[in-house]
Amino acid sequence: MPSWDEFQPFIVTGLALGGVYALSGVGLVVLYRATGVLNLAFGAVGAMGALIAWELINNAGWDEYPAYGICILFGGVVTLAYGLLFGPPLANRDPLVKATASLGLALILLGTMSWIWSDKARSMVLPTSNENFMVSDVLVNYTQVLGFAFGVVVMIVTAAFLRYTGLGTAMRALANDREITATLGVPVRRVEAAAWAGSGLLAGVAGLLLSNLVGLDATTLTFLVISSLAAALIARLQSLVVTLIAGIVVGVVNAMITPILSISEYRDMTPFVLAIVALLWLSRHREISISRSA
Amino acid sequence: MSIKLVSGRLRQITWLAVLAIGSALFVAACGGDDDSGGGNNANVDVKETVAATDCGPKKGQKATGTPIKLGGLATKQPGTDFSEIPRMTEAYFKCVNDNGGINGHPVDYVIETEQTDPGQAASQARKLIESEKVLGLVGSSSIIEADVNHKYYEQQGYNVIAAGIAPSAYATSNIASVNMGPRYSSDGATQTLIRKKVKKIVLVQSNVPGTEYIQEGPELITKDAGLPFEGLKENVPIQDANSAALKAVQAAGDGGGVVLNFTPPEALKILQAAQQQGLQDRVKWGCSTPCNTDFLAKALGDAWDGKLFVNAELNLITADAPDSNLYREVRKKYAPDIPLGSFSQMGFIMGRIATEALQDVKGDYTKESVNQAFLDVKDFKTDILCGPWYYGKAPLHLPNNIDRTVTPKGGTMVQNEDCFPISDVDPAVKQVRGIEQKDPSLIGK
Amino acid sequence: MSVATEPKPRSPLSPGRLSSGDTRRAIVIVALLAFVLFAIPSLLSVFWLKVLTGAAIYSIVALGLGILMGRVGLVSLGQIAVLALGAWVAAKLFFDTGLPFPIVLLLSGLITMVLGTFVGLPALRLGGLYLALITLMMAGAITVVIATTDFPNGGSGFLGHVESSLGGGDSIRRPAIAETDPAYFRYTIIVTALMFLVALWHVRSKAGRAWEAIRQSEPAALAAGVNMTLYKLWAFALASFLTGVAGALLAANVGDLFNYQFPTSQNITLLAVVLMGGIYSIWGAVIAGLLFRYLPELLDSWNLPSDLLTILFGVGVLQVLLTAPAGIVEQFPKDMARLGRFIGRLVGIGKRT
Repeated sequence: MPSWDEFQPFIVTGLALGGVYALSGVGLVVLYRATGVLNLAFGAVGAMGALIAWELINNAGWDEYPAYGICILFGGVVTLAYGLLFGPPLANRDPLVKATASLGLALILLGTMSWIWSDKARSMVLPTSNENFMVSDVLVNYTQVLGFAFGVVVMIVTAAFLRYTGLGTAMRALANDREITATLGVPVRRVEAAAWAGSGLLAGVAGLLLSNLVGLDATTLTFLVISSLAAALIARLQSLVVTLIAGIVVGVVNAMITPILSISEYRDMTPFVLAIVALLWLSRHREISISRSA
Repeated sequence: MSIKLVSGRLRQITWLAVLAIGSALFVAACGGDDDSGGGNNANVDVKETVAATDCGPKKGQKATGTPIKLGGLATKQPGTDFSEIPRMTEAYFKCVNDNGGINGHPVDYVIETEQTDPGQAASQARKLIESEKVLGLVGSSSIIEADVNHKYYEQQGYNVIAAGIAPSAYATSNIASVNMGPRYSSDGATQTLIRKKVKKIVLVQSNVPGTEYIQEGPELITKDAGLPFEGLKENVPIQDANSAALKAVQAAGDGGGVVLNFTPPEALKILQAAQQQGLQDRVKWGCSTPCNTDFLAKALGDAWDGKLFVNAELNLITADAPDSNLYREVRKKYAPDIPLGSFSQMGFIMGRIATEALQDVKGDYTKESVNQAFLDVKDFKTDILCGPWYYGKAPLHLPNNIDRTVTPKGGTMVQNEDCFPISDVDPAVKQVRGIEQKDPSLIGK
Repeated sequence: MSVATEPKPRSPLSPGRLSSGDTRRAIVIVALLAFVLFAIPSLLSVFWLKVLTGAAIYSIVALGLGILMGRVGLVSLGQIAVLALGAWVAAKLFFDTGLPFPIVLLLSGLITMVLGTFVGLPALRLGGLYLALITLMMAGAITVVIATTDFPNGGSGFLGHVESSLGGGDSIRRPAIAETDPAYFRYTIIVTALMFLVALWHVRSKAGRAWEAIRQSEPAALAAGVNMTLYKLWAFALASFLTGVAGALLAANVGDLFNYQFPTSQNITLLAVVLMGGIYSIWGAVIAGLLFRYLPELLDSWNLPSDLLTILFGVGVLQVLLTAPAGIVEQFPKDMARLGRFIGRLVGIGKRT
């Protein structure tokens, strides 16, 4: 069993990883609360935006900030386009169907990315990654702080927005039942567009941050969403606060197992095991279903 | 659902796909050639004394005889893509075909890829030999195919020239590699770090088949030097590089050495995580040959200048010497999208060896004559390798057993240590040196 | 709930009796089977035979998932992990016992059935999206475990994995009557046909009717006295049994199993091809298997990049969910009919002028 000294720095890396999971998890739940769709293409959208930014910086000589802007914009545009094209026809379908459709988008983006940017060592370092400070023997860089803070900010702002503003309430109503919301006189298409665009911009920013925190690699970033789902699932796709906390816990536990050599190789299981345990525990008394009742 | 609605939806889907692809393509096109940006060191001050017409005997004349069919099999999947290697071999053959061919015959080269599925690797081998009817196999580079297929190759009478990765590529009589593979390359990196006076060696590998085999060599060498050794594995693609880097550094301890055995994108994750966490200077860093690519040097940036010691099984890509110059010319003309680096060098060298061997064949080109020609290769001198390459009849082949060390500097890899032999503490190396001693003509002595 | 909007109900749930339509279909299927068993091995090269063997194996897996999704309305994103489990169990049995091949197939199916039902236990409490996601989590967990424990290859101990210094263990044996690739192809096709029969029998039985009731409306089924727990678990049990047998076939097909041959992302690809093939028909599983294993090689032989396939599957998923819920197997004849009508109209127009 490793000593406390050996564990300590892993708490820091755990918080960094937790920040990653929290950011992606919050992104997923925000999208879900605002549009009723679990957008599993969240990671792929961000990855493609990041790769486009990389391309612009390294091969077209763009400056960094405009390229980052394009990345974020790309996230918004693609997600908005998807939402406008596929949101309405799928609106009355089961949430499972909507989530599966987003998998289709993820596959399209992943295939496109692999085709254009074959698998090579790429790096796009945000300016915040070069500034750092020391915590218990390990350097923490500002991109990690940014990722973490961004997750928290998004959570707070979105929770408040959805709860207290007119547009936010409209979005929640829309996510719950599109038809009834329409009959109430809410400009459904406009609210929908706002929700999709907003979530898309979020995916773009997350893509930028994650490309630094995890790596600029299409496959890794696209399938990161599977591990991030754990945090979202523990919150049952409802509470943003729980998502954030769950993401951090998953990250810290994952990292803390690293120095325990007997189970270290199994540590990648952490998000999955925690999600399964949490979901089974939470459903022990009653059925949990978010299908539309027949 | 009405027909109109159906076709409307289909149109929408098509548009979305077109939109996604189109925008990305547009950006890529605007950005110019993706790979030439990273790998093309146009500012190499080297006198190009050869032109890309020195591949064949008759400059500028296209070969028109009956084609000689050859084939190669490579791993190609996200996280593990070695297809550049046979593609570079193909580029060399194209050059040969444009310049007289092999005794007038052009080479018809077929590349197959596999996604580390053993069934698929086996099928592809049969496809090459039984459907495509290739006369010889050259340019292959796969994590598993040597293990899966070597018995089949033996049965069919093929002497394969490969850029081997799987253990069987170095342990059977009918596969000979131009590189030394992950085990012996990790040996070399280990030797380098030991020379730099580290206190312990930690070998970190990606969790793919063969890790125990690869670990044996560095472990023996480290223990022989009287130092402690530890072996670690990481699942790829790596999601938590911070913890992985921290784990490796903790295991090595201050003043220790960490040898990485990963593909460049994964190695980059660990190295950058180490640097960003301020762990970089606590240990010395080594890497096996896949790290030897300018793409990685550029991505690492100058924070890593002189701080990463990469085992280079081949000469510098910037070397000013006949074969190296020809390599760059052929790449520029026939395969500009393949980056400069060890992989394409290996592909080039294999093309060269095969061509030279086949020039000497008298009579018809058949499966027997082609494979005999490969077997007969001895004392093949090239400036890309430290020592002469050879095949010969032997229970195992490790003709490339002398190598260099390179390190990143200013976005490219430069030499750090000149040619040194891989330690014969590794039993296979000892066996091979014994074979060389018994028949010195193999290495031209 | 249903995964895709349902087509009009089809006839296969008539109790027990064989109609004339059934007999006709049976004759066609037997003829097709004969063709595949006897004509194809002589027409195709060994390479393509191995590819089709793989396609047959994955069609069994697709069959399991298709039944879960199309008949009962449950989505499992963990079937590839179950396949890996099946392959693991089979490898262990092959190396540790000398049991004859068919017995190993059966045992792998049964043991995997028990293990796979555990994967389905959450189905009792969770529905729809949650079930799909939790099975994905389970797949992720199983994949990590197998990546670390690796597959048995003749070593000792429970895990049975030996790291030989040559990097590979012994090969998994094949049935004595089917050692060569063409023979193994035939063997696999026969086993596949048997698995399809098992599935068909289930669909037409009492379980099938119960599943249909559950799929239409859970509250109504409950009110009608259907034992939801039993029948949901039964569906998972059947799917796992089928997948376990497929795992054993896979193990013997490749001879060596590698620890990352079953990445978590493949569960998503499997979902895509099963949807595209069509979840409401048994034949959809055949198409899914071909999409999964045959189409990639076809594209590769035309020198098209495999990334195109990923894009194609993504488009396919969207297409199915939006427009052709019954998949290619229903859509293709409809498309052909539409084409026929279109041509007819053209000809008609031509005649009129």
